[in-house]
Amino acid sequence: MAIESIAGALPALSREHVATGGAAAADGFGTSLHRLVSAVETSGQEANGAVGRMLDGSGEVHDAMIALQRAEMTLQLTVQVRNKLVQAYQDIMRMPV
Amino acid sequence: MSELSDAALVTALRRQMTIAAARQVIAAGNLANVNTPGFRARQADFETALDASLRQPLAVTHPAHLRSEGAGSVAAKDADGLPARRDGNTVQIDRELLEMTSAGGEFQRAQTALAAKFRLVRYAINEGR
Amino acid sequence: MSSLNAAIAASATALNAERTRIEVAISNLANAESTRGPDGRPYRRRDVVLGSQPAETFDAALGRASATGVSVKGIVEDQSPARQRYEPSHPDADKEGYVALPNVDPAEEMVDMLSAARAYQANLTAITLIRDLVQKALDLGR
Repeated sequence: MAIESIAGALPALSREHVATGGAAAADGFGTSLHRLVSAVETSGQEANGAVGRMLDGSGEVHDAMIALQRAEMTLQLTVQVRNKLVQAYQDIMRMPV
Repeated sequence: MSELSDAALVTALRRQMTIAAARQVIAAGNLANVNTPGFRARQADFETALDASLRQPLAVTHPAHLRSEGAGSVAAKDADGLPARRDGNTVQIDRELLEMTSAGGEFQRAQTALAAKFRLVRYAINEGR
Repeated sequence: MSSLNAAIAASATALNAERTRIEVAISNLANAESTRGPDGRPYRRRDVVLGSQPAETFDAALGRASATGVSVKGIVEDQSPARQRYEPSHPDADKEGYVALPNVDPAEEMVDMLSAARAYQANLTAITLIRDLVQKALDLGR
């Protein structure tokens, strides 16, 4: 379930953000972001499938709508996470060494 | 509500909508055949767990056969206890219309809950941390 | 097909079938006194034969929820004998003074027409209800 994987990714992200060590943090981010991107891919495919089934009559309208919502929320979450990561990166880069 | 994970809640509400939709579909079929001689009214069957693989008379090779999507995943049977008219038909208009209204209400309630859930999650994503 | 749209299609078939029943009932009533048709014989009452369409769906055979439609399998002539009325002055009276009248019972035709009208109305309501449901489902997509 896409939402479950997102919910799982979120705490993992925040924990790693707090941890010290740029390299370790980068690895953690990379993995989690990778998982999110896959989730976007998967939920997008599921949405396509559900809409297809709705159109050919083998599936129901509400199932397609739910799948579309999931895909959209997964994408939104991923975009938000990416934005936060970019912001964090910029913050770190601005720190005087 | 807090004991259920997001996914479980969505699945439960989705199932409710599917069942309500199936009840509507069955009732519509009954109403269409209210004057068909010998037609027996159908109703949703909640005792029968519909295992697609067990009910398939053919060998299951196509993956689409395994997943009963939509209203087809709800079992149906001949309604019991309905008197038959002279032509053998057991469909009663008022009973079917009542069933459709009731199922419609359940669908609506589940949809409202699900829509609210989606709004919450979207808000959490966009406004939260 | 087990979706809501298929159910609307099934209800639509009922609208056609019941309308046909009403038309035939009206025709029977209109010809209730027609003692000589184009073939020289009294009008014969017509009956609409309905049957489920399709007869057995894939889903129904597997015990799954589905909506069966209905169709007019045929319009047949009622084979019951003509009514006889003693009316020697009638141009179509026979040697004994009896006129052969159509085997139409106006009361029965009215009952059939009301039954068809009621079924028509119910199926129209069904279409509205299902359409509302589909709309609600689409609302989930905002």
